[in-house]
Amino acid sequence: MTYLKKLNILLLISVGFTFFSIIPALGGNVGKTFRMGYLQSDLHQLACWVALEKGFFVQEGVDVEIAGIFKAGPEEMMGFASGSLDIGYVGEAPATMAVANKTADVVVLAQVNTEGSSIVVKKGSNIKQVSDLIGKTVAIPGHAQVQDFLLRKALVKYNVDAGRVNIIVLKPPEMIGALKTSQIHAFIAWEPYIAKAGTMGDGSVLINSSDIWPSHPCCVLVADSTVLEKNMQEVKAIVRAHMRATDFINCNREEAVKIGVKYTGMDENTIIMAMKNITYTYVPSVEGEIEYVNFLNKLRYLNVSDSREFADRFINMEILKEIIKK
Amino acid sequence: MKSVRRCIAPLSLIIGWECLSSYEIIPRYKLPSPVEVVVGFKYILLIGMPPGFHLHNHLIYSLYRVFIGYTAAAAIAIPLGIFMGWSTQLRELMDPIVEMVRPIPPLAWIPIAILWFGIGIKSAAFIIFLGVFFPILLNTISGVCSIDPILIEAARTLNAKTRDIFLKVLIPAAVPSIFVGMRIGVGIGWMTLVAAEFTGVKTGYGLGYMIMVARDVQRPAEILAGMAVIGSVGIFINKGFRFVEAKIVKWE
Amino acid sequence: MSLEVIGLKKTYYNSDKKRSNVHVLQDVNFKVKDGQFISIIGPSGCGKTTLLKIIAGLEDSTEGKVFLNGEELTTSREQIGLVFQEYALFSWRTTLRNIEFGLEIKGVKKKERRFAALEYIKKFGLSGFEHKYPRELSGGMRQRVAIARTLINNPQVLLMDEPFGSLDSQTRNSLQEFLLKIWRKRDETVLFVTHNVDEAVFLSDQIIVMSERPSGIMKVLDVPCPRPRDRTSRICNQIRKNVLKYVIHDRWLNPHSKIPFVAPF
Repeated sequence: MTYLKKLNILLLISVGFTFFSIIPALGGNVGKTFRMGYLQSDLHQLACWVALEKGFFVQEGVDVEIAGIFKAGPEEMMGFASGSLDIGYVGEAPATMAVANKTADVVVLAQVNTEGSSIVVKKGSNIKQVSDLIGKTVAIPGHAQVQDFLLRKALVKYNVDAGRVNIIVLKPPEMIGALKTSQIHAFIAWEPYIAKAGTMGDGSVLINSSDIWPSHPCCVLVADSTVLEKNMQEVKAIVRAHMRATDFINCNREEAVKIGVKYTGMDENTIIMAMKNITYTYVPSVEGEIEYVNFLNKLRYLNVSDSREFADRFINMEILKEIIKK
Repeated sequence: MKSVRRCIAPLSLIIGWECLSSYEIIPRYKLPSPVEVVVGFKYILLIGMPPGFHLHNHLIYSLYRVFIGYTAAAAIAIPLGIFMGWSTQLRELMDPIVEMVRPIPPLAWIPIAILWFGIGIKSAAFIIFLGVFFPILLNTISGVCSIDPILIEAARTLNAKTRDIFLKVLIPAAVPSIFVGMRIGVGIGWMTLVAAEFTGVKTGYGLGYMIMVARDVQRPAEILAGMAVIGSVGIFINKGFRFVEAKIVKWE
Repeated sequence: MSLEVIGLKKTYYNSDKKRSNVHVLQDVNFKVKDGQFISIIGPSGCGKTTLLKIIAGLEDSTEGKVFLNGEELTTSREQIGLVFQEYALFSWRTTLRNIEFGLEIKGVKKKERRFAALEYIKKFGLSGFEHKYPRELSGGMRQRVAIARTLINNPQVLLMDEPFGSLDSQTRNSLQEFLLKIWRKRDETVLFVTHNVDEAVFLSDQIIVMSERPSGIMKVLDVPCPRPRDRTSRICNQIRKNVLKYVIHDRWLNPHSKIPFVAPF
């Protein structure tokens, strides 16, 4: 085969490669039906389920379909990155990571909840305070997530060197079993896994997130920037529906519990206990976001030079303010 | 000249890739450019993923897990394969079990493995064991079964007893096949390990785990860098095996 | 010392009732005097190889016995050696280690067996190839190694199953001469199976002609030519013609029919 022929073949391969890569890059359709994602069995995101069950989205004139139910925030952010999601209920930390690393382009429209995480130890264990975690194995749902942050903040607060704690990653459903069989000494996760550990009789709370960082922001409602730009009115409607759902939870506890039971598959007692730990609100906190960014910078996951500027860009307060004014 | 020719395809691929990325034909977050991947490699090497957990430590832990699983599998599969090749009765006895377990992908065993062994090295080694075991077993059996019977006859005419035939004829004749099985096994073991580590590790170290963390913290360049490391180590292991094979199996 | 085969019969029984049993050897009887070189000639499939295998103890006969020096041969056949057409060398062993295999089995110490093997290597013209593997040797060399491997155990009877069949005619001729040279210095009885009449006449003291399956001995012919043999001598030619009468391709005859026999002299 002559050189020219070889070159031609290579050119053909490159063109073919390009062609087949463009196709997925064109993904992310901006249509009337909004593709939404949320986290599996994450009671923080109760507003989402309430809005769906009570038909708030429909009532506000928006067509919403569930395009993904994810085990953890980073996976949901991958959904945004690949263009499969338009809006989502997700942890603030993974969303921050994605935007700062430029893998996804989303903005925060509203808060979903604050607090609602705890460090759980095995019932009857000799870990009575955070400093007892030295040399122990603690499970987190994932690196650079809210819970990771909370754990480290707790360790810092109580003067424990994080390097002396064995931090491993487990999916929350596996955490309870691992605690039971003593493969880990403690875990930190979101409700209702905390309450479940308690009602199943294996775990007791060591410290609540509200004691680690009072009123810390947790889950947020985000939207893809491009989607927001092109569908401003509908997105506003989604935010309105979310706000109504949040108010509903705070006023109709019993019914909210039932919806929680339906979407987590756990029993009423557990859900009631869990909800006590969570604060449902739609007002985001820029200061909270700044603290996240600084934390992630410190851990060398990010290199954001101006955290305030980033937070202001990341959180879109305008829509919320507009709706509240009305 | 030959080595230059061998570099043409990979090089043009990388150049084409760099073009696709820098002209934003493919968005950077979906496919980081080669340059970004190199930067990502520096990151996992010097800073670590997650920070503080450096690449070489991940590598050592992964290699260790493969080593344990592999050694256990070889230690059982080779003798078992020799006996199964030697004895038709044993082969007929064991065949149904082997044929039933073999098609189950090792990764499907992960939930059971974690139940039985917990989330430590034992469950990872078990998954690797399952991946490595069958290639070695099947190749060993084949090696024994495909011995030319005339060699056994020759040995008998030279007054060899059954034990001599077994040790001095059967096993040496099967060695080339056994080595092939071992080489295939190590390749599969390495692939299986990384996927097994995706489900989590207790020590916080492992190449598969490292990629998972890179995914969690939304750093695709580090993901690709990690993949490149995994692939390179795979090549290295394979070449190493072939080297040892050539040294030992001199007669083929 | 002598080798005697009496009433040897071999049938392969077929468990499948639809196929009949295969009668290979029907009634084989012969006696071989000590130190003689005997060739066995016969049509394909007449059981020459089976006969050798039975004598070597690799297979059992259906009926009949084999005697060596008046004693019946049962399980231990240490006195019988067998050289195969396909050499059957152990590919993972060097020339040296192939040759010393039999001694290794017997438990002879390394130093001694090395010494013995090296002697054979020298005698058989294999010097320089001690540490080569079979795949590095030519066909002629491989067969020499195979013969050495058998002879080092000093068998009383050497069975050879078309040992030069896979070699080209030049190599074949030189190996025939080589074999005779070796044999002249030793005292084994040789049973040599071949297809090649020239070869049989050149090598043997007697030629046993076997019939078609189910086979028996059709004829035993002496080869009274003086040694060292000359392939082109008139006597050899005459004997060749005689043998060929019995060996004409399509016309293998029943052992009980009468065939004209022309005396060599």
